[in-house]
Amino acid sequence: MKLPTLNINFTINRKPQQRVSKFIVKYTPIIVIVVLSAISIIAFASNYQNGLGLSYNDARSHLNIGRRVVEGLKPGLAQIGSVWLPLPHLLMVPTIWNDFFWHTGLSGAIQSMVSFVATGLLIYLYLKKIGVNWIGRVFGVIVFAANLNILYLQSTAMTELLLIAMMTAGCYYLLLWQQKDNVVDIIKAAFFIMLSTLIRYDGWFLFLFAGLLIIFQTLRKKGYKTTEGTIILYSTLAGVGIFLWFVWNALIFKDPLYFAFGPFSAHAQQEQLEAAGVLATKSDILLSIKVYLYALLYNSYTFTALVGAVGAIVIWFDKKITTNVKIITLSLIAPLIFNIIALYLGHSVLFIQGISGDTWFNVRYGVMVLPSIAIFTGYLVGRLKGLRWAVIALIAFTTYFAFANSDAVTIDDATVGSSQKNVTEVSGWLRDNAADKEGFVLISAASHDAIVFSSGLPMKKFIHEGTGAYWESATVSPDRWARWIIMRTNDNNDLSWRFVSVSGALDRYTLVSSYPFADIYELKPEYLPELNTTPVFGKQK
Amino acid sequence: MKITHLVTKILICVIAITVLALTLRGIKGTPIESNINDPIWKDEGPLELSPDRGRFALMYSFVENKSLQFSLPIARFAAPDVAYSNGQYVSLFAPAVSFIVAPGYLIGKLFGLGQVGAFAINALFAFINMLLIWAISRKIGASRTAAIVASFAFLFATPAFAYAVTLYQHHLTTFLLLLSIYVLLKTDRLWSSAVVFFCAALSIPVDNPNAVFMLPVSLWALSRLVSVLKTKTQLKITVKSLGILTAVGGIIPLVLFLSFNQISHGDPFKLSGTLPAAKVIDTKGEPVRTPVVTEETTLTPETKKKTATGFFKSRNLVNGFYIHSISPDRGTIVFAPLMLIGFFGLIYRKKAHRTVTMVLLASIGFIVLLYSMWGDPWGGWAFGSRYLIPAYALAAILLSLALDRFSKKIIPFLFVLVVLIYSISVNTLGAITSNRNPPEVEAIALQEITNRIEPVSFDRNLEFLQDNRSKSYVYQEYFSDTLLATEYYVIVLMLTLSVPVIGFFYMFFTRKIPTI
Repeated sequence: MKLPTLNINFTINRKPQQRVSKFIVKYTPIIVIVVLSAISIIAFASNYQNGLGLSYNDARSHLNIGRRVVEGLKPGLAQIGSVWLPLPHLLMVPTIWNDFFWHTGLSGAIQSMVSFVATGLLIYLYLKKIGVNWIGRVFGVIVFAANLNILYLQSTAMTELLLIAMMTAGCYYLLLWQQKDNVVDIIKAAFFIMLSTLIRYDGWFLFLFAGLLIIFQTLRKKGYKTTEGTIILYSTLAGVGIFLWFVWNALIFKDPLYFAFGPFSAHAQQEQLEAAGVLATKSDILLSIKVYLYALLYNSYTFTALVGAVGAIVIWFDKKITTNVKIITLSLIAPLIFNIIALYLGHSVLFIQGISGDTWFNVRYGVMVLPSIAIFTGYLVGRLKGLRWAVIALIAFTTYFAFANSDAVTIDDATVGSSQKNVTEVSGWLRDNAADKEGFVLISAASHDAIVFSSGLPMKKFIHEGTGAYWESATVSPDRWARWIIMRTNDNNDLSWRFVSVSGALDRYTLVSSYPFADIYELKPEYLPELNTTPVFGKQK
Repeated sequence: MKITHLVTKILICVIAITVLALTLRGIKGTPIESNINDPIWKDEGPLELSPDRGRFALMYSFVENKSLQFSLPIARFAAPDVAYSNGQYVSLFAPAVSFIVAPGYLIGKLFGLGQVGAFAINALFAFINMLLIWAISRKIGASRTAAIVASFAFLFATPAFAYAVTLYQHHLTTFLLLLSIYVLLKTDRLWSSAVVFFCAALSIPVDNPNAVFMLPVSLWALSRLVSVLKTKTQLKITVKSLGILTAVGGIIPLVLFLSFNQISHGDPFKLSGTLPAAKVIDTKGEPVRTPVVTEETTLTPETKKKTATGFFKSRNLVNGFYIHSISPDRGTIVFAPLMLIGFFGLIYRKKAHRTVTMVLLASIGFIVLLYSMWGDPWGGWAFGSRYLIPAYALAAILLSLALDRFSKKIIPFLFVLVVLIYSISVNTLGAITSNRNPPEVEAIALQEITNRIEPVSFDRNLEFLQDNRSKSYVYQEYFSDTLLATEYYVIVLMLTLSVPVIGFFYMFFTRKIPTI
């Protein structure tokens, strides 16, 4: 006997629903901006409140570099230095003069936050341009934004998000150029790639990689003459940042390659690491691939990366996508290739816990491929008709556990890995004992920028390598210039120690405290009368 | 139905049952409290690892002592996977398997084969699972022979075989999952949803993570209660209000489960697995809360597992995927490579079966992801990746679609044939010997104690076999005097191979277009 089903039927007029759907689809870019902005602010507030926003040693150094441009014993553009490329620090200048923006890290985080929102929007637009449906587009944005590593880095003064945004923008306009064959698009692509070359050396690789793609595509379609013109147009704008960087180094440091081979360069650090036997990836391509893939997988929650990889393969078999577009999407994998090559050549260092001993270092480099993963994942979800919801559910499932367990390898990198530097004790001592007293602190910014930042003291209280005559005088006659010296005793890598230890004035100081990262020396009271406590050199060149 | 088809079906079932009977682990007799802790029942016998011991202990305590709290000998038997709550030893495992195998134990006990009887119930579910895969494969468009080969492949070419002849939860989990899919494919009447909700609810006391694995099929059943018809201007929604009553199907198992928790450890909402474990019980019968690291605890396979479990972490995915896919100790590519071919079935799926393939993929995905996030993806000491057994069953359904295509051309045919023979050979080896294979990480520690290289893959089982040992009840009882263990293995292997190999050859030579 068949039971009555007792159905309840009701009908909904589709017109209002269709209107809402139309509205949502039409204004999705704006909705993406609004929602990501809200997420960005909440993530920043959360990371600031729990004290994680400034955990990366490098974040504090970036903020100090920006600050030194506007405040200190020798303020000015030259403080940009050569250790890092200049754009992130230049972007801090409008806000870094304010102590709140400096010490909250907001001055550097703002650009990361804006970049986070911009990258989300670019992912949406990229997917739209390659014909992915609305669900795939939105899902691509979600894959990018629902990642604790991205949310953490966008809350800090680190350079990753800014770089990601510029590189994605460059790739996006390359795609438009291929689709519309409009010269304006290649100019826009070159502009954003140029900006990326002023953030990190990853951008330099993209500059070359995109250049090769442009040559290949133009040769294929239009022959040599047009190729010549196109590549000149592209490289003139995209390469201007690199050119200016050489000029800058030549002007300020009297050596155009100072950034590459100078004493504070990454190369110099890598040499030290190699000497210590911990640059294992150098000349080992398999280990380089393994280490970077682990960083990538840890940053992307693994499963999402695998789905993205499938998407990257499927795109090549998609008849709806033209060969031109397929080729130009290769620009999205530039960060992957760059990081592996950099590890192999020994220009980069990355430690994965369990592979490179028991620590993390620079594992955040893995996030560089996340926008590409998001694009490929969004593409796959858009294309998979029958299995779409299964893939969405599985990624949502993994992401749920990632959030439930606060799985952010970048936070581990910043708080327990080699990238962190807990200088609370030494900076606390300075804040308690030097803030209200006259006199300068001699310190090597190359070794102890985190202490300078964390002390909360004004930048003009410190004599460091970038203070010109003050540094030169203080390292020869410290007792005349520095009431306190912060340095690692017996470590010649610490420039303060290197010079002060041979100045003959060390016996005029008392070692008042020793901490894991530095020791504090204070000038004996009997020498205080001869101490300079005010800036006397005026405006230095 | 043609008589030849019927005879063939019966013959195939007889062969499958015979193979299971020949490999079912056990020894003569029924354990009693005074001898249950002897090595012949434990490490050297059929109850070799704590998951099967723990479930057997609860069944034994319930049947023989009429109690859900363990006596001291039973607690020692179940240790280190025994919980200590309110001053009493109780089960650390979800209880359903123990109750479901109790009838087998009682029947077996009548013949002096209590343990074998309990294990036989598990084997029965394994056999039913094979039939369900057969039936589901047919329903989604696989040919008759492909459905048979795929169902055999699940049971005998994956670690499902080794876990069909002992006492674990995996086949019961798989049964509930497959039954749910089958009834939804069979009919769209309301009772099918009731069956699914019943299975979903029952799956929780079988193994708690099943709640997640049953989610896709439960959603499918739920979607049957609502239908949406789109026209240009309107959405017509129909809700089968009587469908609400189908939820009743899920209430009964849940009530029983909550009652068990209440009686067992005094809190209906506290899962057994979350109770404090008593890994070691001292001579006075008191639990030692902090395990002492001794040779014994190092050598006890389950010790490591307990320290590694307790939560799911996305950070574990890299290692988990490695373990489940390519690792020598548990990897699918080593123990069940045939199932990987199943993914080609996704390509050959039919549009009409979009929902079921989505449910299959989602369920496989949930299983693989959850157990890759698990702190102990190895499943303690085990043969192959035991956690993936339900996923292998679902992959076997997809495999049936792939087999129809792969049997058409010589190269794919030969490739699949080789993989099929390899997979069955490896898993027959596991079934006939032991599941006591350490994870690679533990084998390294073990080597320092045993001073020998510890094999971690199926080579460990081969070593076991070459020592002329088998845990098969039939072999130990009837053939150990007349046959070497290796000879027995070859006989069982030939019998196991007969159906899928003949079937696959038949597919190749007839090259039939798949029928729906």
